[in-house]
Amino acid sequence: MSFSATLRDVTLKYRDSDALADVNLELEAGKIYGLLGRNGAGKTSLLSLLAAFRKPTSGEILVGGEPVWENVGIVSRVALIREGGDFDDSDSVKAAIETGQIRPGFDTAYALKLAERFELPLKKKVRELSRGKRSVLAAVCGLAARAELTMFDEVHLGMDAPTRDAFYKELLAEYMDRPHTVILSTHLIDEVANYLEEVIIVDRGRILRHEEVEVFQGMGATLTGAAAAVDEVAAGLEILAEQQLGGTKSITVAAFDPGTRERAAAAGLEIGPVGLQDLFIHLTEPSRNGA
Amino acid sequence: MPALQHLTLPNRRFTLGLGMAAEGLNYFKYWILAAVAIAFLGPLALSRYNEIDLSTWFYTANVAKWFTSFVAGGFLYVLVPNMIAAGMTRRELSVVMGVFGFLWSAALGALVVAGFLVERVYYDAMGWSQGVQGDDATTVIGTWGETAAFAAVHPLMYLAYFAAGALVGAAAYRWQSSGWLLVFPVLVVVFSLDNAVYDTEPFGPAWAGVLGRFMDDWGRGLVLTGVAVVAAGLAIAARRILIDIPLHSKKA
Repeated sequence: MSFSATLRDVTLKYRDSDALADVNLELEAGKIYGLLGRNGAGKTSLLSLLAAFRKPTSGEILVGGEPVWENVGIVSRVALIREGGDFDDSDSVKAAIETGQIRPGFDTAYALKLAERFELPLKKKVRELSRGKRSVLAAVCGLAARAELTMFDEVHLGMDAPTRDAFYKELLAEYMDRPHTVILSTHLIDEVANYLEEVIIVDRGRILRHEEVEVFQGMGATLTGAAAAVDEVAAGLEILAEQQLGGTKSITVAAFDPGTRERAAAAGLEIGPVGLQDLFIHLTEPSRNGA
Repeated sequence: MPALQHLTLPNRRFTLGLGMAAEGLNYFKYWILAAVAIAFLGPLALSRYNEIDLSTWFYTANVAKWFTSFVAGGFLYVLVPNMIAAGMTRRELSVVMGVFGFLWSAALGALVVAGFLVERVYYDAMGWSQGVQGDDATTVIGTWGETAAFAAVHPLMYLAYFAAGALVGAAAYRWQSSGWLLVFPVLVVVFSLDNAVYDTEPFGPAWAGVLGRFMDDWGRGLVLTGVAVVAAGLAIAARRILIDIPLHSKKA
């Protein structure tokens, strides 16, 4: 069983400012979602509401069809893993893992297996861990929670590239083994793009887009070939990203219509899907400089 | 924490409260042993130079009140993000703290009662006088019955101090910059009542006993009823703060 999630007219205020405003969102059970947004867009606020870390100022939040707030049957099967995890720093790594047993579904044997695989020092205090190892500990606890809705909020930020890759693979293996709902909030967009089924883009406290990955990828294209040919086909199109190496050029364009596709094919250009990151930058107004 | 792997959803709040009390006592066992050793060996050393007419255990029992407050506040401050992030509801956490508070106060109270009685035997054997510092003079605690009655209020006092610590801990987490300020009014109420129980000199900051002047005429029964009411009020207030407490964002 995995949980669906619904937000209806949800607003969350921090004092006078809206972290989220009138958000409506439907997430089907059993899918892997990517949650994208610029700094301060409202991603963490959204996840905090789904995990009942916070109460909305107004609106309704349902997880698995039931209100999530103070619902022991639901929150015990929802896991939000924040960067660095929520641990007692004076605990040993082993004790921090065992705290997860508060959840009836927590798989301690799996957690310890992952801890060994990711070389977590079980006897060390949590406060003595490096940022990367702390991130790994949080990820291990999240995976071993065996929750019906698991959310990772930038949890892999402190990990190095091989560890992140191993984490994504483990996440996918766990998902294949036990289908459940996963939300990955991240800035490392292209790294996770292949794992996602749907993407939600949050901007300034509102849902900007919520589509399947294929829909996003169909919103544009990447054209690669001889620089002159690329420039000719791309003339008049909105360019999202551009790279050139010697005489070969690659550009990412938005709004790629069938006519342009034919011209590109006729010019011998290689046509690829648009990069999610380029599209995300385009959709969230690159001229606006956030933190 | 013991036996977490056998938790079930309906009983986990009680099991955790029990585990927390056991874990807390186990964690501080060397502190407690050190306090016992100092309370009983200290007078032996001092007796070479001075006449012993004060109960050192009385001071140990008073230090334990402050200690109890710090334990309650500190544990709650740490537990709020940990337990909620681990899939526990705030209502469950308030029950965990309630069970923890009762068991902690009962265990520490039992230890203190036993300590007073053992000290009584010890002081009698050494020919010392088991007294407490009153408002004007040292008062001998009295007969065995009076010693037992003197000691018996401590579990209730620990409960009040536990509730006070829990309230301040919850407020300090909820309002990170200002919540701890609640310590002042809470301390004044609890400390004044505590001092009114025996008309002893304030054991702690004198200003905190400022309300004592209004309780001078209260009988012991009324003061103890006041302690019980205040303990319940503080526990209710702590639960109220806890019940919709938001988890703070993580700092980068």
